[in-house]
Amino acid sequence: MNSKTRPAEKIYMAVIFLFMYAPIVTLIVLSFNKSKSRAKWGGFTFQWYLNLVRDSEVLNAMANTLIIALIATVVSTLIGTAASVALTGMKRRTRSLIMGVTNIPMINADIVTGISLMLLFKVLHFDAGFVTVLIAHITFDIPYVMLSVLPRMKTISPSVYEAALDLGARPFFAFRKTILPDLAPSILSGALMAFTMSIDDFIITYFTKGSGFDTLSTKIYSEVKRGIRPEIYALSAIIFVAVLILLLLSDRMKAQTGKLASRARSAGNQKIKKIGAVIAVAAASIAIILMALTFGGVFSKKSTQVFVYNAGEYIDPDVIELFREETGIEVVYDEFESNEIMYAKVAADGAAYDVLCPSDYMIAKLIDNDMLMKLDWSELPNAQEYIGRQYYNSASAFDPANEYAVPYCWGTVGILYNKELVSAPVTSWDVLWDPQYKGEILMQDSIRDAFMVALARRGFSINSVNPDEISLATQDLIEQAPLVQAYVIDQVRDKMIGGEAAMGVIYSGEAIYTQRENENLDYVIPDEGSNVWIDAWVIPREARNAENALKWIDFLCRPEIALMNFEYITYSTPNTAAQEMIEDELIRNSKIAFPDEETLSRCDTYISLGEEGDRLYNEAWKKVKSAN
Amino acid sequence: MSKELITLSHISKSFDGQLILDDLNLVIHENEFVTLLGPSGCGKTTTLRIIGGFETPDAGKVIFDGEDITALAPNKRQLNTVFQKYALFTHMDIAENIAFGLRIKNKTDQYIKDKISYALKLVNLEGYEHRMPDSLSGGQQQRIAIARAIVNEPKVLLLDEPLGALDLKLRQDMQYELIRLKKELGITFIYVTHDQEEALTMSDHIVVMNQGYIQQEGSPEDIYNEPENAFVADFIGDSNIITATMVRDELVRILGVEFACVDKGFGTEKPVDVVIRPEDVELVPRGQGQLAGVVTHIIFKGVHYEMEVQAGGFEWLVHSTKESPVGTEVDIRVDPFNIQVMNKPESEDEQALGVEDV
Amino acid sequence: MWKMFKDRRKAGALASPYFAWALIFILVPLMMILWYGFTDDAGVFTMANILSIAQPEHAKSLLLALELSVISTVICFLLAYPLGMILAKNRMSSQGIITTIFILPMWMNFLLRTFSWMTLLENHGVINGVLEFLHLPQIRVINTPGAIVIGMVYNFLPFMIMPIYNSLAKIDENVINAARDLGANPVQTFLRVTLPLTVPGIISGVTMVFIPALTTFAISTMLGGSKILLIGNVIEQEFTLTYDWHLGSGLSIVLMIFIVVNMVVSLISEKKDEQ
Repeated sequence: MNSKTRPAEKIYMAVIFLFMYAPIVTLIVLSFNKSKSRAKWGGFTFQWYLNLVRDSEVLNAMANTLIIALIATVVSTLIGTAASVALTGMKRRTRSLIMGVTNIPMINADIVTGISLMLLFKVLHFDAGFVTVLIAHITFDIPYVMLSVLPRMKTISPSVYEAALDLGARPFFAFRKTILPDLAPSILSGALMAFTMSIDDFIITYFTKGSGFDTLSTKIYSEVKRGIRPEIYALSAIIFVAVLILLLLSDRMKAQTGKLASRARSAGNQKIKKIGAVIAVAAASIAIILMALTFGGVFSKKSTQVFVYNAGEYIDPDVIELFREETGIEVVYDEFESNEIMYAKVAADGAAYDVLCPSDYMIAKLIDNDMLMKLDWSELPNAQEYIGRQYYNSASAFDPANEYAVPYCWGTVGILYNKELVSAPVTSWDVLWDPQYKGEILMQDSIRDAFMVALARRGFSINSVNPDEISLATQDLIEQAPLVQAYVIDQVRDKMIGGEAAMGVIYSGEAIYTQRENENLDYVIPDEGSNVWIDAWVIPREARNAENALKWIDFLCRPEIALMNFEYITYSTPNTAAQEMIEDELIRNSKIAFPDEETLSRCDTYISLGEEGDRLYNEAWKKVKSAN
Repeated sequence: MSKELITLSHISKSFDGQLILDDLNLVIHENEFVTLLGPSGCGKTTTLRIIGGFETPDAGKVIFDGEDITALAPNKRQLNTVFQKYALFTHMDIAENIAFGLRIKNKTDQYIKDKISYALKLVNLEGYEHRMPDSLSGGQQQRIAIARAIVNEPKVLLLDEPLGALDLKLRQDMQYELIRLKKELGITFIYVTHDQEEALTMSDHIVVMNQGYIQQEGSPEDIYNEPENAFVADFIGDSNIITATMVRDELVRILGVEFACVDKGFGTEKPVDVVIRPEDVELVPRGQGQLAGVVTHIIFKGVHYEMEVQAGGFEWLVHSTKESPVGTEVDIRVDPFNIQVMNKPESEDEQALGVEDV
Repeated sequence: MWKMFKDRRKAGALASPYFAWALIFILVPLMMILWYGFTDDAGVFTMANILSIAQPEHAKSLLLALELSVISTVICFLLAYPLGMILAKNRMSSQGIITTIFILPMWMNFLLRTFSWMTLLENHGVINGVLEFLHLPQIRVINTPGAIVIGMVYNFLPFMIMPIYNSLAKIDENVINAARDLGANPVQTFLRVTLPLTVPGIISGVTMVFIPALTTFAISTMLGGSKILLIGNVIEQEFTLTYDWHLGSGLSIVLMIFIVVNMVVSLISEKKDEQ
């Protein structure tokens, strides 16, 4: 056959290659981007690579990913290879039946596999975490090993094995000496496939992981909604380049040993090659284990821990570090994207976290369902002294006797718009229904906020559970859907900075940050009124480390800590002492951070809708989302 | 002699800078059973593939029936191939396999049906129409491959080591089968093999190849009895190949003893190689022969005994129906016409073209 | 197939860890889904969860998921087949290259790769930047079904290429030569021999692209701007947002019907292949 590659073929391959690698190149470039926002090139920097060394969260996730992949690969390779060998000794019918079962995790949708395992673990009262993820990974890895080993096993001639048995070798010895060497390449490629799948898996891990445990995938997913921290780009770039180098080296080694072998077919060479491979694999494994031991949260279950579940990017990482240093308490820190997701997690396992930071209406729901612990205020001197009285008063809307919650941040919901793209002054929610801005509008991907906008626009209560009002709001949102570019949460920030959209619904805290990055942006609370919200710390009733949780809350209420936090996350703090300490006058007097009484009087807090109300909203929201 | 059907002239071909065929010239006559014989890597398969159209030579021409077909696509050539390992279409049953070429040519259903049953009858596999290829034995698959090729009524059938994958008994049966087919069809067969026995049994004409060169051409008898060089001698059957000196015409000195021979024209006192077939070495009682020796080894081979005799510092291979036990002191005698004298290769290059490759 | 074990019981013992594993972690969990799917909160048998697929918003998300995954599968096939042929023809069988090219991207996390497409496809993204530089018209694809299809094709293309390449590389070159030898031109050879011989590869490629594409929720969330709800998103929300396991399981069972259909088709073709 013609073995020359024609130019058309080369071009075709190049196009596919470009398609496969364009995103990867993009990520590597982003890892050198000085700006935290992926929408903007802020100059070249190595900072994220340097930060990586200190970013224990990302390193933890990475270590977990590697150790899970390694153990899952080893176990699934052993089980899968043994099964493949054994299957050849079985009846054809049995074999096809077994292969059918084996194929289930491969053919089945990941989402179904993940959910089915999650249900199993729940029913067995398995603590979701390292072990459950590992089991899940082994389960979906086994088929890859078997599908690689079984076909090879079928082609192996039994004569050598039988000869070895004939010479008196015990079966295992005979197997090791005769069949295993033939099988080795297929076992290796099956193992490599299993390892890769394990590293890359997201969906199954997502459903089987518990609290406080993240692999790189789940870590990234939780960050996707609000913009991934650049350290992750840096880490991925390092992994990618490392694997690339390893592959190139092994290819080169193969080519070289191949040449040597063809020149002189000496047994010694073969042996050296073999030993080399074994050493390489062993070295890699040891490196992974060491890394896991150093950074991994895998084996640490110390008593002096506190499991924190906070909204995304809602704390200065240095604050966590300071707390750890001062108290010696290990902080297992998890982030959620929305109150609803937080609720689902906590409802599933009330002991998963020791301290949560939900929003007002969700706290009401938690109280209603008797899921929270009354706080021991004697342990919270800072909370009593420095958090402004008015905020406790507001909090009584959802926590009537101020028994459960310590306010952490507060703010309003409004419209962030780009002055260059929107000429007329924005004063009303109506602007979000203006066809002129089709495809330029970002809506909040959260049920309450989306309906709040629609309800407020019509002058209804933002806590309405009146089916007629909800149905009107639903109609409005469906009508608005074609104009909406995307439903997002914290991504509003990046997209607005990058000029991707003309306007978006956003929390006041984000507005301050985005204005810093793009001065054309302005924040408005529409005249119809809006939501004023309070996020507060609460402790679940079943928390295991309630004492540490109290220490955590009180630590955050220290004025200097609250100030540090405010400057980092830019969400308004209810800590009056901290407010006074803000140095930047513009911010201290900012209308966005600390709106005046008149504006606040137009705003309402969310209250819990009750079960029936939740159902009403959920169904309406599904209708809106599937309207496109 | 019948007319020339295929002419290969000055064919060269290399792969990855390695020369496979070097200026090859070959004429194949109509109705011949021609065998290309040689060790693997000798270029015989490449030659066949060039005739079949699966390779294009780097230089040279392929003339078929007076027409230059060097650049013609395989599907436009009036010849068909039986491939190594059969190359049946595993996704079609036997009838569909055989019908493949006819369907391409848009023959009528009736014609195709007739042809299928004719071909299956010819290869003794009637009733196999609806079996799948994988369910057939190797020998049966081979017959189907042949049937698939011959229904297209080619002028030439190319066979690329067709019996290589079969066991010994089956191979021998198939050899007779192929001779019968050749006679019934009355077409030209070009057959590639590395098995000298196959070649000797079936062929009208044998082309011995090594390292891209034709070493010798001729009838099986010529090739066997009068190998032109040590490679051919060694490759065809067992031989005693001994370095000797041509004293003058019709006299050669082997291991220090002068033997009468029938060869002339090598000059005087010239180094040569001589080939003596094991069955041509006679063992006679001590004193009655030309060279004294001792039997060192003996095995019974059925038709004959195979013995090794140490004589004149050389280990002679001897086939004889008479048993001479180990240790027997014997003399060796060779008739003049059983001594085949060959030129000794003069350079290393020439050597390379000769012995030792397999 | 040869018998390594004269004694079946020994074979059984060797495979027992696997049997146990498959039973506990593959079959039992599936039973759980069935149980949840066919019961309500009170544990009473109901078909309501399954039938809820007929609700307009569920049916719509399923149909849209079907449409997008079929389109993605077809595109993957059309892209992968020629590529497989080029790779097989050039005997890049030194598997190394194939794995290097198509496995390597998997070491960059799946979500990150998809996320990266956001940066590429956005209205002011990288691709539009390049187009603007070349004075070409801009694309507006982010947050549309088109972007989701791109994400699906990108993520699942390797799963189509590998089985197709493997089945192409397995074809004896002489089988192709035989077809040519018997008078078939290149097109006839392709349609009558090459393509039918790679059907098993195509089926496994189609399965490995279609199923994950049908059930994805991450790709649609990221590249569809949460505007486009696929059946995967609905199921995910039932489990993580509205917390209705029964409904989620019921919808999963509906998904499994498609998976089973796909499995049966590939089993039948496998059997045919083995005959």
